[in-house]
This record gives sequence, C-alpha cells and structure tokens, in this order.
Amino acid sequence: MKLDILNTLDSNGILKELGASSSKSVAASALAKLKVPNKKTEKYRYFDIEPLVSKDWKLCEVKEQNVEASGKKIVIEDGALLNSGDIDGVSVEVAEFSDIDAEHFDGLYFLSHLMAPKAIVIRCSKDSSFEIEHNYTSSECLINYRVVILVDANIHCQISDSFKGEAKKSFILSGYDIFVSRDASLKFIKTHTLNSANYTPIFTSRYKVDSSANLKISSFDFSFDNGLNLFRVELKENANLDASHLLYATDSAKYGIVSEIVHEGKSSTSSQIAKSILDKKARGIFDALIRVQNSAKWTKAHQNSKSVLLNSGAYMASKPQLEIYIDDLEASHGSTTGQLDNKQLFYLQSRGIAKDDARKMLILAFAHEIIATVDDEYLANKIYADFETAYYGKYELDCMKTCDSCEESILGIE
Amino acid sequence: MSKVLEIKDLKAKIGNKDILKGLNLDLEEGKVHAIMGPNGAGKSTLSKAIVGHYDVEVTDGEIIYKGKNIVDEEPEERALDGIFLSFQNPVEIPGVNNAYFLRTAVNARRKHLGKPELNAAEFLRAMKADVAELGMKPELINRSLNEGFSGGEKKRNEILQMMMLEPDVVILDEIDSGLDIDALRAVSEGINKMKDGKRSFLVITHYSRILDYIEPDYIHVLKDGQIVHTGGSELVEQLEKEGYSSFEEK
Ligand SMILES: Nc1ncnc2c1ncn2[C@@H]1O[C@H](COP(=O)(O)OP(=O)(O)OP(=O)(O)O)[C@@H](O)[C@H]1O
Ligand SMILES: [Mg+2]
Repeated sequence: MKLDILNTLDSNGILKELGASSSKSVAASALAKLKVPNKKTEKYRYFDIEPLVSKDWKLCEVKEQNVEASGKKIVIEDGALLNSGDIDGVSVEVAEFSDIDAEHFDGLYFLSHLMAPKAIVIRCSKDSSFEIEHNYTSSECLINYRVVILVDANIHCQISDSFKGEAKKSFILSGYDIFVSRDASLKFIKTHTLNSANYTPIFTSRYKVDSSANLKISSFDFSFDNGLNLFRVELKENANLDASHLLYATDSAKYGIVSEIVHEGKSSTSSQIAKSILDKKARGIFDALIRVQNSAKWTKAHQNSKSVLLNSGAYMASKPQLEIYIDDLEASHGSTTGQLDNKQLFYLQSRGIAKDDARKMLILAFAHEIIATVDDEYLANKIYADFETAYYGKYELDCMKTCDSCEESILGIE
Repeated sequence: MSKVLEIKDLKAKIGNKDILKGLNLDLEEGKVHAIMGPNGAGKSTLSKAIVGHYDVEVTDGEIIYKGKNIVDEEPEERALDGIFLSFQNPVEIPGVNNAYFLRTAVNARRKHLGKPELNAAEFLRAMKADVAELGMKPELINRSLNEGFSGGEKKRNEILQMMMLEPDVVILDEIDSGLDIDALRAVSEGINKMKDGKRSFLVITHYSRILDYIEPDYIHVLKDGQIVHTGGSELVEQLEKEGYSSFEEK
C-alpha cells in the first residue's frame, strides 16, 4: 500500500479505503485536511518523509496469538501484544480506541490511528513501575500499531520503554496516546538506543496531562538511521511537564523531535531540554513549539536546545519556538550549536589524558545532564552503557560508571 | 647544578601579536624559581608555551625538558613526562566528576611511568588524605570538575591535582591570587611538602606574601616578553618598593 494515494480522497473515501470504523471519522477528516505529509509539509521539513509515504509497502500482519501474562514487562512484537505482564494494578487489553487528539498537528498521527483497528490499552490503577518492550522482527514491511496508557487519578507510575529487534528496512509507524489523570504522575523513560537496526521509526504521540498532574519524559535516541518523534502535549491547570531529550546520531541519519507543548490551564509549567550529539553526516532535528493559550495565565515555560557537532559534515536543525497569547507568564527559550570546547579539552590533556579519551569524557559529560534525569540508577547505568556502545560500537568497561562498589566508595567520602 | 628545563631564545605569538620576544630561562632541579612582572608582560603566555597550549604559537627558540626539545610535543605527552601547570583561571567542566577525572589522570601518569594503576579504593584513600591536608571541602571531589567552585576552591583543586600527579616540574600561575589567609597557608604548605630536592617549581606571582611561605631560590623579572633580571629573594623587597620601572628591558 502507498500512503500518499490517500491524499486524493475525502474523509469518507479515506475511511473506506482503510476499512476503518466510522467511530474514527474525526481522524479521517483531520487527515483529509492535514494530508499525508510530503516534502513540503512544514513539520517534516528537515526529514526525508517522501520515500516512506510514496513506497508501496507490504503491511505487516498483526498476528493473533495467545497472550502471555508473566513478569514485570509488557512485550509487543511487530505491533501485536505478546506478553501483558503480571503487574499488580496494571491491566492490559487490546481494544478499540477512539479518544484521539483532534487538535494534533501531524497527519501521520491520524493515519496511524485509522490504520490500527485496535490499540493496546494499558491502565495503571495502582502505583507501579514496569517496562514496555517493543520488538521488531519483520523486515521490509510497514508495521503500524497504537499504544494507549491511562494513569488513573492520584496514581504514580514509572514506565521504561525500550526497543529491540532485527527488522530490516521496515517502516514503524506507531505512537502513544497517554493520559495522566488529575494529581497523578508518570515518569516515562524512552530508550530507543538500538543502533544496529536499519528500520525507520516514526512515533507520533499525544500526551494529555490533567489538572495538577505531572509528566516527566526522558527520551534517549541513539541512532545510525532515520527516525522521528512527533508529539503534542496538552497541559491543564497546574499541570507540569519535564521533558529531556538526548540524541546521538551518526552516519547519515536524520533523526529528531518535532513537538508542540500547549499550555491550556493556568499555572501550568513546562521545561523542555534537548541535547544532541551529531557525528559524521548526521542531521539532528529539534523543531519544538511551546504555545501558551490565553487561558493559561501564570504559566512557566522554558525550552533549551544544545548541540555538539563532532564532524564538519554534521548538522543541527534546531528551532525552539514560543507562541504566546498572554502577558502574565515566565518564559524563555534558547539554542546553541557548537564543537567541543577547546579550553576544556586542553585542560584534560594538560593533565595527561589522551586527546581521544578527553573527547570521550567531554561527550559523556555533555550527555550526563540528560542521563542524570533518570533517577533509577540501574536504568541510568544501562543508558550510559548503551551510549558508549553507540559511540564506540563496543562496550568499554568503565569502573566508575558501572561497578556499584566503586560508585559507593566514591560516594562514601564524607 | 643540573637544569631540568632550559628555555632558549623563545619567541611566541598569540594570534598575530608577538608576546615572548627571545626569552631565556633555566630551571634548576630541586629549586624554586619565582617570576614577577607587570600585567600583560607574558607570564601566563610563557607558562602556556611550556605546556603546549593551542593559543600560543612558538615561532623560534627551544624548550628543552630533560634534555629534549618539547616544542612540538602534544600537551598530554608533556604532562605524562612530568610537567604540571596550575592555571591562572582553571576551566569549569560540567558533567565530568572531579574524582573520576583525577583518577583517570593519575592512572594515565602511573601507566606512563610503568607503575601499577590505582584501583578506586586505593585512589580514594590517597585523595582523601590530600583533601584533608589542603583543608578542602570533601564534597568538592564529588562535584563536577571546578563547576561553581569559588576562586579559592578552584586553586585548591589545582594543588590537589599537583599533589596527586607528582610532577617533576610544577608551574604555578598566580596560585595565590584570590586566596584568603588560611587558604594561602594551606596551599603553600601543600607546595612545601612537595619539595623533595628534585622537583622544581616556577611560581608566577604579583605578591611577596606567598614567597614568604615558599622561599624562592631565584626571582626572575619578566617584562615585555623577556626575562630582564634575575636575582635572589632580596629582589622581592626592591620590587615592592620601586616597582618594575627600575628594571629596564634588555
Ligand atoms: N587569547 C589571547 N588573544 C589575544 N591576546 C592575548 C591572548 N592571551 C593573551 N593575550 C595578550 O598577550 C599579552 C600577555 O598576556 P599574559 O596573559 O601572558 O600576561 P601576564 O603577564 O600573565 O599578565 P597578568 O599579570 O595580568 O596575568 C597581553 O597583552 C594579553 O592581552
Ligand atoms: Mg597571567
């Protein structure tokens, strides 16, 4: 199937063509209006979307299978639920889902909903911490699926989301619809650190953060290949968002983030930090808008993007943007792109540290600020290790970072 | 007396400005040399030339260290061979843990000398002792390198590195500026303890105070890119009284 042929159809035609239920007519009219993106689409201006939407894809069949229910991990393979886990207070079902974000900016968000007859719906009704693993095995096909996460009122959850698999030349079209209810909190740690993969992921998501709820997103993307994360966040009264993104891209990868954070409720706060490390001919993308609506008095919104280019062929497309419709707020944004700091490099060398090791230290230090947002130590160490693997293509045993007893003795100094 | 460092007719530029204009200086093994001179004379430039800073382009002359001209050596090679510079303004490196950095440096040097590397516990024991001796706040070693350190804390951290790295030639660029009385005493004691009859010191300063503590063997006056006068510690008094104008350029 070619995705861009949908651009010739009206909303009814789209529903029919995709065999989608009429409960999704909102998505169909949004797609008819926004269109399947092409190279002229604003939100895809730094990314090569054309080859993906014009290719005649074989659709990956979502296999009906017996769902296991064991362990603390929810496993999704090629878009199908494989293991719903056995996690106290967390229910998982495959169900129709139509509460989509009609205001979303991305045509592919709607398309992906229209193509997925059902979604994997995860509901947290007790405080919990668990993993979701996405596994991709099918090559040369389009894998489309949707995942929904509902965090009930007053509930506090941590979810670690990871990806693995050896699918070659596949196009993963997916994303989350996440609802953090009143007074609830979600720590969402997304580690897409699978550098050996050569499939292209496009994750197009929405996050709805209800009154006085908290959402913390830490995302880690280490990639040799193209990929894009698009998301829209709605913040209600007193809601808070903390988003930190670390990108390492190399070879000729075009990778990054396109986001819209919308302050709807008063006294809502958001902070978004992106750090990008780009090597060889990679292009990093941070195309991020914060919109403060006139209903959102006393908002605080801060946004920052910092990038390091390790090679003269690397490039960063950084576009932090603020769109403000009120006076009464506190907001800032900024963006810097540069090389490693010569003064810092020299300082380390002047203490006898070889130039390559000094560079490595500085790159890890740059990444550190984002990795440190993960307060789960085990996970943070794993991300460090993944980062080194991506950067070096191999594990380097680094006692200070991975050996617990050393860590303790360092911290043991009073 | 054997010379550990011989600087011969050194000329150096920063950008396209000539700063060092044929400078000659010998450091003797086991001795303390002090350099004094007006602002902008080229004192920091000299120290940077010795350690191979990228700002400084040596256009002529030689820096002979342990019998070898090191002008074309990489900064890390010079450091591994035992040259240490305490910077006038140490740079802050957010995200690099101070202890982790120092252990990496110490082990690089030990490896270079053919000594076994220190494991984390051995290193920490050694560092703790030096930290205590310098009266440094212990939490500083677990912070990011120099990040948010006060001026005095940065200087103590430089001395800590010197103590741990055990260099053969120590260059101290205004180690005393910005130190309170207690810090000055602690830092001076740290330096004095490092005197072992072999290690040489080059102390760049504007003040006699630190020289009272560390008792230099020689005082050199650096003016407009040259050493214009060399004498003993009696020179300090003369400089304090008369300033630099009585020392004419060569
Ligand atoms: N990066 C640089 N770019 C341009 N000029 C420089 C640079 N660094 C030093 N200089 C110039 O070189 C000259 C010598 O500077 P240097 O720092 O060596 O002086 P100094 O003797 O250490 O002075 P002070 O006592 O003030 O520390 C000064 O005129 C200074 O402005
Ligand atoms: Mg100076």
